[in-house]
Amino acid sequence: MERGERIGLAIAVAGHIVLFGLLSVGFLSTPNPEKLKVTPIDISLVKDVALEAASPTPNEQAAQSVAPEEGAPEDAAPPEPVEAEPEPQPAPPPPAPQPKPQPKPQPKPEPAKPEPRPEPKPQPKPVEKPRPQPKPEPKPKPAPAKPAPAKPVHEAKPAPARPTRSEAKPAAAPKPTTPARGSGKSETAKTTRPRGSHLGADFLKGLSADPSPSKSQAAPAARIGAQQLANIASAILRQVQPCANRQVTPGPGAERIRVAINLHLNKDGSLAAAPRVVGHSGVDGENERYVDRVDDLAIATFKGCSPLRGLPAELYDVPGGWSNFTLRYKLPG
Amino acid sequence: MNPVFNMDAASLSPVALFIHADWVVKFVMIGLLLASIWTWAIIVAFSRKLARTKKGMTRFERDFWKAEDIDAFHRMEQDNELPSARVFSAGVQEWRRSTAGGHIDRDGTRERLATAMGSAVAGEIDKLSDRLNVLATVGSVAPFVGLFGTVWGIMRSFTGIAQAQNTSLAVVAPGISEALFATAIGLFAAIPAVIAYNRFSHGVNRVEASLNRFADGFHTTLSRQLDSAR
Repeated sequence: MERGERIGLAIAVAGHIVLFGLLSVGFLSTPNPEKLKVTPIDISLVKDVALEAASPTPNEQAAQSVAPEEGAPEDAAPPEPVEAEPEPQPAPPPPAPQPKPQPKPQPKPEPAKPEPRPEPKPQPKPVEKPRPQPKPEPKPKPAPAKPAPAKPVHEAKPAPARPTRSEAKPAAAPKPTTPARGSGKSETAKTTRPRGSHLGADFLKGLSADPSPSKSQAAPAARIGAQQLANIASAILRQVQPCANRQVTPGPGAERIRVAINLHLNKDGSLAAAPRVVGHSGVDGENERYVDRVDDLAIATFKGCSPLRGLPAELYDVPGGWSNFTLRYKLPG
Repeated sequence: MNPVFNMDAASLSPVALFIHADWVVKFVMIGLLLASIWTWAIIVAFSRKLARTKKGMTRFERDFWKAEDIDAFHRMEQDNELPSARVFSAGVQEWRRSTAGGHIDRDGTRERLATAMGSAVAGEIDKLSDRLNVLATVGSVAPFVGLFGTVWGIMRSFTGIAQAQNTSLAVVAPGISEALFATAIGLFAAIPAVIAYNRFSHGVNRVEASLNRFADGFHTTLSRQLDSAR
């Protein structure tokens, strides 16, 4: 090895050491700005689309109806408490208390009695508290009504009118008494007869020994809900995406046009009729000349990928189902 | 600039890449690094020698054509190591041998002079271009050696994937990066070698051409001298 080569070798070694040293201490070694870090992503695998109805507890069986517990039957109350009650209100008719014991043991004879009109009126008042207002009115009226037969002698018109009223009111008056007996549960202790739900012959129809699966007595949904509609729409859009990607955007801004397109579908997912554009949005001055073209492209898209698969069959012909479906579509871009 | 050795495999630090590599790849890297060093040593030495030779030859030829007495000039330049001085020396020695006897065969002398100087030129060029074959070899082989290291390293990376049961980039990337570093070093060694080889062969060709011109001129001079003698 010559002297010149030795010098060259020394220079080369020195140069390499300097170069690799610089590279190693970070002259060119950019510490990787983006570390290979894995950020976890939430993934939800959606297998079925829109299988749920829209009611809060969809498609569940309604809760079984259970008869109310009425407690043990009681004997008729003695007449004394009944007499005590009427006293506060029906002060004006003192003779009334006498007939009361009679109607209560047998309610139906009362409506049958048309004549003792002033007498039954005091009865409903003590029994039913919601009615006290209308009843005070009839009371004063019967009083004039009794003179009324005298009035027809003076004036013919008012006379027939008032008797009719007086008749109608007594007729109405006995009726409250009958509901009062059936419905006055809060006063069961006071009332004289034992009470209970009326159970028809078909009361046990549909009941099973199993406990009721549902806590809601609401009926199942009558139509599919917004979420299910959105799911169906996204399922359709996902299936037409390959066809949508083939469409060429006609011009700038055309991808902002959203086309409301109406699909008539058969149960197998094929188109029963040509898709129809029923509306637009997002049309502005820049892209309005592309509207017709976008309509054609949208129709072509849905025709091209027409047999739509995997739509939930149970939501086909329910009200609002996908037999006649309108969704919003826009060009990809 | 942080003056600390960056040992993270994710960095571009050559030391880190070397340390994390497989031993086969390490071997390849070391060999390529030595080839690169040797290449640059040859480049430095050869460029200096070539420049010195060209300069010396220009000066020697200028001095030669100005010289009055060839014998005196020969005595002066006898120990010169320049290729043109060697060729001149070979020609003068052959002239003396051929004209030493009483009878001079002119044609034979001319032929011997030409042969002696031609072989002297060839010998000098051989000596000059001694190291060029190293450059040619490094330039053509280093990329393949680096590629071998890369292929080996990537194979090892894929084995690592199979063992880790994990195809994430974090598992694969460092191994591939180390493997590619072998190819990088191979190219790093090969590119200067190829450039230098082409440049130096051109320089050597020029030296050879100028040597041949000088030899022809000297041969012409000696041939004329031969005619004028007796």
